[in-house]
Amino acid sequence: MIEFKNTSLVYPNGTQGLKDVNIKINEGEFVVIVGLSGAGKSTLIRSVNRMVTPTDGELLVDGEDILSYNGRQLRDLRTKVGMIFQNYNLVKRSTVMKNVIAGRLGHTGTMRSILNLYSNEDKSLAYHNLQRVNISEKVHSRADELSGGQQQRVSIARVLTQQPKVILADEPVASLDPPTSHQVMTYLRKVNKEDKITTLVNLHFIDMAMEYADRIIGMRAGEVVFDGPASTVTEKTFEEIYGRKIREEDMVGGDEDDENNG
Amino acid sequence: MTKTTANPSQGSFDPSNPPGLRAQQAKWKLTFVFAAIVLVYMFTSWQTGSSLIDLWFGMPDVWRMVGELFPPNWGYATETWGRLSETIQMAIIATTVAGILCIPISLMASSNIAPNKWVYNITKQIMNILRTIPDLLLAVIFVGIFGIGAFSGIMALIIFSLGILAKLLAETIEAIDKNPLEAIRASGGNTIQVIVYGVIPQILPQYTSFTLYVFEINVRASLVLGFVGAGGIGQLLQRSISFFQYGRAMMIIIIIFVAVVIIEYISGKIREEIL
Repeated sequence: MIEFKNTSLVYPNGTQGLKDVNIKINEGEFVVIVGLSGAGKSTLIRSVNRMVTPTDGELLVDGEDILSYNGRQLRDLRTKVGMIFQNYNLVKRSTVMKNVIAGRLGHTGTMRSILNLYSNEDKSLAYHNLQRVNISEKVHSRADELSGGQQQRVSIARVLTQQPKVILADEPVASLDPPTSHQVMTYLRKVNKEDKITTLVNLHFIDMAMEYADRIIGMRAGEVVFDGPASTVTEKTFEEIYGRKIREEDMVGGDEDDENNG
Repeated sequence: MTKTTANPSQGSFDPSNPPGLRAQQAKWKLTFVFAAIVLVYMFTSWQTGSSLIDLWFGMPDVWRMVGELFPPNWGYATETWGRLSETIQMAIIATTVAGILCIPISLMASSNIAPNKWVYNITKQIMNILRTIPDLLLAVIFVGIFGIGAFSGIMALIIFSLGILAKLLAETIEAIDKNPLEAIRASGGNTIQVIVYGVIPQILPQYTSFTLYVFEINVRASLVLGFVGAGGIGQLLQRSISFFQYGRAMMIIIIIFVAVVIIEYISGKIREEIL
């Protein structure tokens, strides 16, 4: 369970990232956070694993305030809270397997990880997760030989290998074409349901948010301006969140290509 | 037919005296600078008592020297192998030690990896100072400390190549893709794991290439170091010259030349393959 209590974040340059956020995310929920770029979606997500640190209020994960964490506690938190990135963030020159096993780093001692001494269970887990996202045939390919969609699937396998309780996905499909985007979202959704992993996803495509989310949180200028079940959301809701009319570029579309990959 | 241009907005000019390529004032400036440079040359030549004329009058000595260098003392070649391999061994040891030491140093000297500004700045400044010391001076210092022999040469080469390697590598580290590092940090990895899993794979090809390059430099540098008693084939060359055994000296020069060309060729090929 994740709970924001009057959480605010001001960046050193004065930008207000979060403004008095109060939300409670329940275990196993699939939450999509929507908003225009700069609305604070990334800041919200990255606060949960402390890639950024809120400057005010409280942020509870499993009942503990994580804002004071550092060192070992912080690494334990990050082991529990996995992350997926817009640009996949794989080590391009390393093999798929080495990238996926990196998910075990938080569970593995420094010496063992330097010497690549992983147990058979760890390696099986990594390979099994590659199978789950249908990319196990690339196990020994170098990451830079893979397409964008394949790389994002590898990064899902990496995060699963971490065996997290929470997955944060920061614009996971923003660099992908529509069919691949749907594929990646489907995998995220599947993992969420099968493993009961709480999942927070940033998206700016409204049709995708409505299709995959249990619950939608809308943000504008660092504030939560909407919070409700996906079933209650209409285009009107989005117009309120975005503060403007919905445009074509706010939709990812079903299967036809569009260049809207920002 | 030329005639005075009559563009009222631009003014008129005399076609027989059009503007030059530069303003008149700039011409004077250039003339002055040119004259000043010539004066500096004349002054330095007079102060050091050397001029191009010496080169002309020295020609007979040049020919005499060349005459003495040839023919090379071919038979002497077999006696140089030991020292040649010592030179190469010195370069191998020095490059290996420097190659290992430069990894932690370059990490501390990279702004994106160094734990804080202090470590970064101090390491960087120390490496800057180290790089300003010429290899020959290092050799003289170490010969003074450890005495004549290959060990002093190896020490000099280690410090010398460490300066180069750490700088090249630190610049490479500063240019890597930081996204994978973020991912490894976000999955609970500690600093060492971030380095091993995120940084090292990204710099490995450049690291190998730089190390081979420094090995080439070390082979050449260790020749010169021999002149101050720091071991290797250079010591042999220095002895031959001071005993006026120019045939032997020429033999050594040929051997060095061939060895350096071969080593640079092989190392160049390997580096081409890697990058």
